[in-house]
Amino acid sequence: MNAALHPGPAPRARDLILNGIFGENPVFRLALSLCPAVAVTTTVMNGVLLGVAVLAVQVLSSVTVTLTRRWIHPRVRIPIYTIIIAVWVSIIDMLLAAFTPALYAQVRLYVKLIVAFAIIISRLEVFASRQPLTPSFFDGLGMGLGFLLALVVIGAMRELLGNGSLAGIPLAPGKPLLFFALPAGGFFSIALLMALFNRIERAVADSSRRSTSGAHHA
Amino acid sequence: MPRILQLFLAALVAAALAAMITLLLGSFAPAHGDVASVTAAGLRIRSARVDRPGQLRLRFSGPLVNTEPANFRLTDARAPDIALVVRAVRAAADGRVVLETVRPLRATETYRLVITDPPLTRTVRPSRWSLLFAVLISSALINNFVFTRYLGLCIFFGITRRRDAAVGMGVTFTLVMVTTGTLSWLLYRYVLQPLQLSFLQILVFIGVVAFLVQMLDTVLKKTHAGLHKKFGIYLMLITTNCIILAVPLLNAAAGAGALESFALALGSGLGFALALFLMSCARERVELARVPASFEGLPIAFALAGLFALAFMGFSGLDFFR
Amino acid sequence: MNANRREILRIAATMTMVCALAGALLGGAFVATHRYREVSGRRAEQRAILGLLQLDSSATVLEVRQYLSPARSEVVYRAGPYGEPPAHEVVFSLDGRRVAAGEATIPRDAHAERGLVPLGRIFVATRSGAAAGFVIEGESRGYKNRIRFFVGLSPAFEIAGVRVLEHEEDPGLGAEIATPVFQGQFLGRAAAGLASLAVTRDPMPEDWRAALATVAGTPVARWRERHAALLARERTRPIYAVTGATISSRALTDGVRETVDHFQRRWALLGPYLGGRS
Repeated sequence: MNAALHPGPAPRARDLILNGIFGENPVFRLALSLCPAVAVTTTVMNGVLLGVAVLAVQVLSSVTVTLTRRWIHPRVRIPIYTIIIAVWVSIIDMLLAAFTPALYAQVRLYVKLIVAFAIIISRLEVFASRQPLTPSFFDGLGMGLGFLLALVVIGAMRELLGNGSLAGIPLAPGKPLLFFALPAGGFFSIALLMALFNRIERAVADSSRRSTSGAHHA
Repeated sequence: MPRILQLFLAALVAAALAAMITLLLGSFAPAHGDVASVTAAGLRIRSARVDRPGQLRLRFSGPLVNTEPANFRLTDARAPDIALVVRAVRAAADGRVVLETVRPLRATETYRLVITDPPLTRTVRPSRWSLLFAVLISSALINNFVFTRYLGLCIFFGITRRRDAAVGMGVTFTLVMVTTGTLSWLLYRYVLQPLQLSFLQILVFIGVVAFLVQMLDTVLKKTHAGLHKKFGIYLMLITTNCIILAVPLLNAAAGAGALESFALALGSGLGFALALFLMSCARERVELARVPASFEGLPIAFALAGLFALAFMGFSGLDFFR
Repeated sequence: MNANRREILRIAATMTMVCALAGALLGGAFVATHRYREVSGRRAEQRAILGLLQLDSSATVLEVRQYLSPARSEVVYRAGPYGEPPAHEVVFSLDGRRVAAGEATIPRDAHAERGLVPLGRIFVATRSGAAAGFVIEGESRGYKNRIRFFVGLSPAFEIAGVRVLEHEEDPGLGAEIATPVFQGQFLGRAAAGLASLAVTRDPMPEDWRAALATVAGTPVARWRERHAALLARERTRPIYAVTGATISSRALTDGVRETVDHFQRRWALLGPYLGGRS
């Protein structure tokens, strides 16, 4: 029934992944699921841990929804998606607690809150419930990677500036700009990175417009 | 039909209130083994409270004779076998006695006092108002959900473009946080914990939120259509929101009691409402300002939030309330 | 109407099934991870205990669990070889009188026992019959949430090390209390002198910081020999707070002070009863 909404060939895996990382990056472009992007990014490792957790939850939930959508009643699909996400989040939460207890202790609350990420449920609703298994998998992978990448970039910037280290390896003596490790620094880092993202996008758009208009005149 | 629903809603609210009040009172019932603190001579302790770190102020019904520090055995309720060292005792003729301890005492902790001569015991509890106040201040200002715990940012940046929307959102969120917080606490404390099912907490809490929001939506639509038109959209945004869910999760992690979890829910809600209001005021002005093109929209809003977070860091100095 | 009701019933049935399935899945995952978590947690804990006291695995560790029984106003100590159910029990009243002592018949999962509030654990290490030190479990309220830590004491009641096990402090700020540089400041301080130990916001001297940065990499005895002059200077000074995280620094320092104080006073009662067994 839903397949009729998206006629034509299924999107390609590479495009889906690139879309998640650049075109519709959950943090920088869609501005969704921002809370952990500020909260856990004081170090790269915390960002990686949460990013991997989100990636796993997104992919697993997408695959589950694609496989079971035949039996999901459309009127209660949102509650069922929520339950699916909650189950996967709980499982990932328990796994992290068991296997990386030290790192987990610092991001405990935010791992549990993955269940409330708008990005995951919106991908289930928009994509996984309407597409076959393979594209759903790659869409989930792309979105998860986009999120992971965003967290790593913000984490690297904040850890380097705030703590003078990268992934725990000290690169500079002392703490160059402690401000970036503080709560306020998290907001400013994202402001700067978003502005940078906008700037690059505009530069790209300008140059492509110039080249197309140039071709037109010729 | 609406009349019946209205009655139903009123009954529900009354029942919830009654349950909450019972719980709050219950959490202050005297602890097991609390001896009635009156001596044969009729001397009793009228009041006892920590009014400064390192100082316990007592009021007796009459003058106390033995004011040697060794006459008093003060212990922390968490380690009742370890006597705290009483440095000095200052007594006035009207029955006022001040105990000075070497280590600071906290107004938010419980202590136990045993006097040998005359034999008296007293449990020194934080007054419920001071505890409520401390948790409220802590969760609203010191650990503000938006500015120091970074929760609810999607809503925070989405809704603060208009001030009236921000206020409506703040009110709705506070109400929902208090109701879901209380209900989740009840479920966690009396169902999940005794059955050792706390690994189901995520599933249960999100179920509680979804159920309550859905019910509120249905009831509001039937009874107060005008109100529903105004606040209905916010209700739908709430179901999958992290700050609503964070309250029961934080309470569960901290093992909070009835009063603390209620105060945390209320304080966090008020703190969120305050953050929304402040931010919407600031953003209204930024709309009129000239902002570098790359910073337009969200980036400048993030920078603004950063400035607020910097200001809120000042509250962390309110050490007494943590 | 009838069709509508049937549909609602079908939806309700689906939801119930999904919830039941979800519960079963989570239960399975919990059982699977819980056992692993316990085993690996024990292993890490044992490593931390032996590491703090600079012992190898030939040392034996006695685990003493401390409980409070509020109903009977008693403190219960249960001792047994590390990781095994406790075999020996000593009970004291709150003002330090011995109530009972003897062999204990205690359920394996003693934590679940009703009416007993855990007061933390003490680990007593012995090597070839001689006392090799103590490790005491402590807890303190940090900036965000509780901080769990171990304090190691030498047989002469000198701090052999402090290790933060679990915390939720901010990375880059409060989290620095879990680094060797901060924890190393406690090393070698006498338990008797802790009562007056304060925390200062003054910056840490550079030579001291450089010395502490190597504390994790060298055997403690050699490290103390090498930095004897610095240690003598710093022993009389307060703990230097982590920049921007005075509250976290104070929380750990207060926690260590309290934990050691409680241990000393409880051990004075308990020691004679366990001395022969450890």
